This record gives sequence, structure tokens and C-alpha cells, in this order.
Amino acid sequence: MKPIIEFKDVSKSFGSTEVLHNISLTINENEVIVLVGPSGSGKSTLLRCVNGLEMVTSGDLVVNGIHLPREKGRVREIRKEVGMVFQLFFLFPHMTALENVAFGPRKVRKVSRREAKEIAHDLLEKVGLGDRGHHLPSELSGGQQQRVAIARALAIKPKVMLFDEPTSALDPELREEVLNVMTLLANEGMTMMVVSHEMSFAKKAGTRLLFMDNGRIDEDGEPSELLLNPQTERLQNFLRHVGY
Amino acid sequence: MTFQWSIIADSIPSLIEGARLSWYIAITGILGGLVLGTVAGLMRIAGTKAVGGHTFGFARVISRFCQITAFCYIELIRGTPIIVQAMFIYFALPMLIEVTTGVRGVRFDAVTAAVITIMINAGAYMAEIVRGAVQSVNKGLIEAGMAMGISKLQLITSIIGPIAFRRAIPPLGNQFIISLKDTSLFIVIGVGELTRQGQEIMASNFRALEIWSAVAVCYLIMTSALALILRLIERRMRKI
Repeated sequence: MKPIIEFKDVSKSFGSTEVLHNISLTINENEVIVLVGPSGSGKSTLLRCVNGLEMVTSGDLVVNGIHLPREKGRVREIRKEVGMVFQLFFLFPHMTALENVAFGPRKVRKVSRREAKEIAHDLLEKVGLGDRGHHLPSELSGGQQQRVAIARALAIKPKVMLFDEPTSALDPELREEVLNVMTLLANEGMTMMVVSHEMSFAKKAGTRLLFMDNGRIDEDGEPSELLLNPQTERLQNFLRHVGY
Repeated sequence: MTFQWSIIADSIPSLIEGARLSWYIAITGILGGLVLGTVAGLMRIAGTKAVGGHTFGFARVISRFCQITAFCYIELIRGTPIIVQAMFIYFALPMLIEVTTGVRGVRFDAVTAAVITIMINAGAYMAEIVRGAVQSVNKGLIEAGMAMGISKLQLITSIIGPIAFRRAIPPLGNQFIISLKDTSLFIVIGVGELTRQGQEIMASNFRALEIWSAVAVCYLIMTSALALILRLIERRMRKI
């Protein structure tokens, strides 16, 4: 097992409010981490620290060999190896689905226009949208948009994929199509960090479940085991709240 | 007294000459203003999250300098009447150059002064339009771009720019029309534009009704043409 992301005593503050307290966490290649916790517990912030959308305040965060915050000038190198999927998709509205996916290879990997198009087409095929390439995001359903967003993130050939509540803006029936794509990725061995309350996904595809509360990781274990046997009362309560 | 169409017919050649000059001043000034406004508008928000995140160290000093410079320019121009600006550029600027640098005899002809005035004036208003359009781009889209590891320049040219441009077209069109009509003020520095041509014909035959009607129609035709061009540009772009 090779570590790819390491939090060493990492803290993050917004102004005077500390939202991550001395996090220490090692994530190995091929792990599928599912992060759960109440809102405001710092799960999204933890995720956003990994690709430097939020810069950690103290400690040492090593992503693919680059140390943050010490080497924050190299944050773009990290981002080229870490794909991210957002709750509200954020597809570029002026580009078609195909152009959205081809954008990364063109601009970040500097491949030719034709090659980028091929990559994009293959990835859209993979997420089940091979026939939707010429549509604008506004012409796609939420589930389709999110699948395009996953394809877009995959197009730069990242080593790690971050998912920030990828299904919470979707209808129940649209969630399924997105979760299926994510499960497919997990089965292919992609290293993933997923902030989500989809317990079925955690059990099916997750290799590790982290429960966060108040900026700390309270529980860390194998998903089905942890769901069956929550150690802390907080997690027990939380699981009741999300209806599990 | 009757409305005499022949008066209008006789005045058409000089009115067209005036309209051409007005059109030239407006278009040159607007295009220059668009460049100036885009630069000033971006400088106004340099280093902020709207253009790809906060900056540190030396870049921060540069950003701050850009912001203050743009702010001063915009407030100075928006806070003074365009007619005063025209007078200043035509009459006062040569003196200012002489006083400050000792170089004598720098002088713009009236048309150049007019073009510069429109450029500087429209630029300030367009800077605010550009700033507003850029700041209206969803922060999530900016983060989505940044998360892919593209550079700030790529972010601005490929994502923020195209989206902001679409948003800016309606208010920019407004400003284009205002600037076109503002060229009528250059009568005060003796530019032979449309309004001045009308004024001169009027002074010789005192047919105010016919002449000012004709002048108004000329402006209307030009502003409609400008509006039409903008509408075509807007229609050519993808709906987002």
C-alpha cells in the first residue's frame, strides 16, 4: 500500500474560526474513502484542502509528494492529479458536454484538439452519455450533468478523485445513475474521497468510512462494520438522523 | 408656415457629412473605450476571488496598485461631466503638458480630442460593466476551472471571459448608444459632427423644425444600427 494523501497534524481556520483541528490521516492508493458527518463538521473543507481550493493553515498535507502549505506555489501540479466533482456540477455553461470534457485534456494536458475530442467521447461513452456530447449543460438533466462532470474530471487522468456531495442535489432516481458511475470507478481501483450520505454506496463501494464531527475525525473504519457497530454515540445519533 | 421637405433635401449632404464624423468618433471611441474599460474593469478586481483567487506577497502589492489606479480613474471620470472632460482634453491638456514637462505646442486637433474623450469616458463606465459581469460569474464555475489545474490566464480567457461577455452585452449596448449620442457635445470644441452641422444650417436659414427633425432622425438611424449589430452578436452566441 502506497500513501498518496497524508494529513499530518493539519489545521484549517477561516479567520478566527478553526474548522479542522489537528487532522492526521493517511490515504493509500486505491482506497475509497467515504466521509460522513453533520453539516459544518468540516468534511467539505477537508476535501477542498486536498486540491488546495482551501489552503491549510498549519501542519503538513502531502498530496502526491507535494507538501502544503509549504509548497503552495505548486498547487497547480496537485490539481492536475486530483479531479473534483461538485454538488452543483458546475459544468461550463457555454460549452457542450463534449467540449466540457475535452477542455481539461486540451488546456491542462496539452493534447491535440482531435485527441482531446476522442478522449472526451470515450469518457462520455463510459458514463453512459455517448449520444449527448453535442448538448449544452442546460439541455441535460441533473444526473446527466453530474455524469458529464465526472467525465470532465476524469479527462485529465487524475490519480485521485474528490466528490463533494455529488448526489445531494439530485432526485432519488437520478442519484442511482451517478452512484453507478462512481461504483464503476471504485471497482476500477480509482483512489476516491467521497463526501456523501449515501450509506448504500459506502457499504457497496467504500473501503473506509470516516465520521467527522466538529472538525475532527471521530471514527475511522471499514464501512459495513462501522455502520453495524458505531462506536461513538455521535455516530449512532447521526446514522439515525440520515435514516440509516 | 408649412413643413418644407425641400429644406431637408438640401441639407442632406452636410448632415450626412456630419453623421459620418459622429459615427467615426463614436465607433473609434467606443472600441478604444472597450479595450480601456476591459483593462480597467479587470484591474479594479485584480487578485480577488472573481478572477481566480487571492494573491500573496509581491503579486498582492501589484493587485492592490491595479485596484487603486482603476478605482481613481473610474471615479474621476464618472464624477465629472463629459463636456468638462472634452474641454479639459482639448484646451487644458496642452497647457498641463507644458506646465509639467516644459514641452510646448503639444496639441490635439478637435476630432482627436473628441475620440480620446469618448474613449476615456466610455472606458470608465464600461469598466464598471465589465467588473459587474465578471463578478456575476458563479464562483463554483471558477473553482471547477481552478480544480482542473488551469492557469489564471486560461481561467480568464476560456471560462470567465466568455461567460462574462454574454452578460455584459446588454449593458455595453446601452453604453455604446449613450456614447454615440454624447458625440453631439463636441459642438463645444468645434468638431463638425452632426449636431454642429445642423446648428450651422439652422443659423443660415432658421428652419429649426425641419433641421432638428432631420438631425434627430439621423441619430435614430445610427443608434438603431448600433443596436442591431449588438443584437446580431448576441444572437450568434449560444444561449447559456
